[in-house]
Amino acid sequence: MADFVQLVILGLLAGGVYVAVGVGFGLVWGVLNIVNLAHGALVIIGSYITWQLFTALHLDPFLTLPVDAVALFVLGYALQRGVINRIIRAPLLFTFLLTFGLNLVVINVLLFIFGSDFRSVTPAYSGQGLEFGSVVIPYVPLISLGVAILLSAALAFILNRTRIGLAINAIAADRDAAQLVGIDLRHAYAVTFGLGAACAGVAGGLIAMSQAITPTAGEPYTLQAFVVVILGGLGRVSATVVGGLAFGLVEVFAQSIPGSGSVFANAIAFGLMVLVLVTRPQGLLGRLR
Amino acid sequence: MFLILGAILAAYALLAPLTSLDAAQSANVPLLADRLWFRIATIIAMFIVMATAWNIIGGITGYAAFGNVAFFGIGAYTTGMLIAKAKWPFLVALPFAPLVSAGFAALVGLPLLRLRGHYFAVASLGVGVAVGELVQNIDYGGQPLFGGASGLFLPIYAIDNRGLFFFYLMVAAATIAIAVTWWVLRSRFGYGLIAIRENEEAAAVLGVNTTVYKVAAFALSAALTGLAGGIFSQWNVFINQDNTFPIDYNVQMILMALLGGTGTVFGPAVGAVLLQLLIQFLGGSLPISFDIPFVSADARPILAQVILGVLLVGVVIFVPRGVIDFFGGRSRLSLSYLRRSLRETSL
Repeated sequence: MADFVQLVILGLLAGGVYVAVGVGFGLVWGVLNIVNLAHGALVIIGSYITWQLFTALHLDPFLTLPVDAVALFVLGYALQRGVINRIIRAPLLFTFLLTFGLNLVVINVLLFIFGSDFRSVTPAYSGQGLEFGSVVIPYVPLISLGVAILLSAALAFILNRTRIGLAINAIAADRDAAQLVGIDLRHAYAVTFGLGAACAGVAGGLIAMSQAITPTAGEPYTLQAFVVVILGGLGRVSATVVGGLAFGLVEVFAQSIPGSGSVFANAIAFGLMVLVLVTRPQGLLGRLR
Repeated sequence: MFLILGAILAAYALLAPLTSLDAAQSANVPLLADRLWFRIATIIAMFIVMATAWNIIGGITGYAAFGNVAFFGIGAYTTGMLIAKAKWPFLVALPFAPLVSAGFAALVGLPLLRLRGHYFAVASLGVGVAVGELVQNIDYGGQPLFGGASGLFLPIYAIDNRGLFFFYLMVAAATIAIAVTWWVLRSRFGYGLIAIRENEEAAAVLGVNTTVYKVAAFALSAALTGLAGGIFSQWNVFINQDNTFPIDYNVQMILMALLGGTGTVFGPAVGAVLLQLLIQFLGGSLPISFDIPFVSADARPILAQVILGVLLVGVVIFVPRGVIDFFGGRSRLSLSYLRRSLRETSL
């Protein structure tokens, strides 16, 4: 029983990172209709910023998260304004290839700057945790989960309570009508992608604390973000939160099966995705559109 | 201009290996004196097969398959296992590569091809990643079934002029792929596929059995890709997850088809020659020595990838119909062409 409780806790904690990775991806997909294959690369930029600030300035890694968010927002805004807006009306294959091209560029620029060595961020309290009998709750994933929930709440607040957020919602509902009522599409699209990238940056900061990073470490997260969004249902932040936590649980339980181990992470993610797509295409909480 | 360049490249690719290596070496002809050239020419032919095969499902049918490398790997491992473990002769084992790949494609195609747009693209990407992972990690009785992380070694195929033999085999596969595309585009089957690309509901209303057509196109694409994989496994003698399931190949074959022109017979082949030469050139593998200023030899593969990424972005934005658009006087490459392409899809 204690083992089961431990697994549930670890699964929910692991879900924190997936929530953070998923919300930005889901926002860009839902509003801009772009499956951003560079999402994992943006995540890893966030990881490297956190690592750099942690090793050079000895900042607490959680304090670097706002820096990640701001830096990635600026980068995301510029990418959408300068590049992705150019092909927004092209067929889907083109947005796929374009974002994959950006993915290649980002990863290899990171390789240029940082090399392919493994880097990790280990604050003094990493490895410690709250203990309740035989059940342990490690600090870093616990705070990460809190950050991910806060991030999602902030994103939901921006989308539902601010002027630009309402504009973004209007675009998601009907692009042409949004343009007719005077919304600056180029700016609003760029803000949307910037917000998505900012979420990716925060996710990257969290990932830097939970695993060793390399420039290519972000690639699995693109596929996983996709699965998380499908699992929850496209179009709402709260659905993605549920999807992320569910994904964390599935992953931890699947890995606890003897003999499987972590080597099948992608196969499990993929199997889960096909299962959901075939049986419940609108996701756990989604509405059919 | 492009036509002439393409013709020269194609003629060179075909004729160069015919020249005897010894004669070329004694005459000190720069390109031909290098055995590396066989390798590069064979790789180019291999990519012609893959890009042309992708075109059948991605270009003609319009389904953005992002995981075709799975079929390359399955073909390679089918032939590899039959030769290395079952001790079959190569030419008997080779036909099973396209068969197994096509069978697998039909199996996963039935659920996957019900998905549309992004869903199909990412699901097929997932197949490519997952199959590679499974092949590397499946154990049977405590032993890795497919050679595991250390890969699979095949006995060397004993034949005179091995390089030339495999080059011709790969060229034959490329010819088959192009011929199949030519046939498809002129058949009832091909018209059905184009109808699906243009409007799937309308195609169904017109009596096209869309499920059968889509799965058949996917399996055909997989069979050709698997054939290339089967040849590769015996040619390269060693296969593992990295050289038979590289994610990069997915994108390279699509970029080649796009660069040349999707939905056409020769476009993907043209794109494959151009792009593969560029990749080899940037990676420093072409036997032409050159220096890139400020870049050390170690950093060159990285730079090659950056340039590939930038090229990908550039082609998608500026030449969306492929360079084949410039052939036959339909359009001319000019500043206004680039500007028009940019405006067509911009916000």
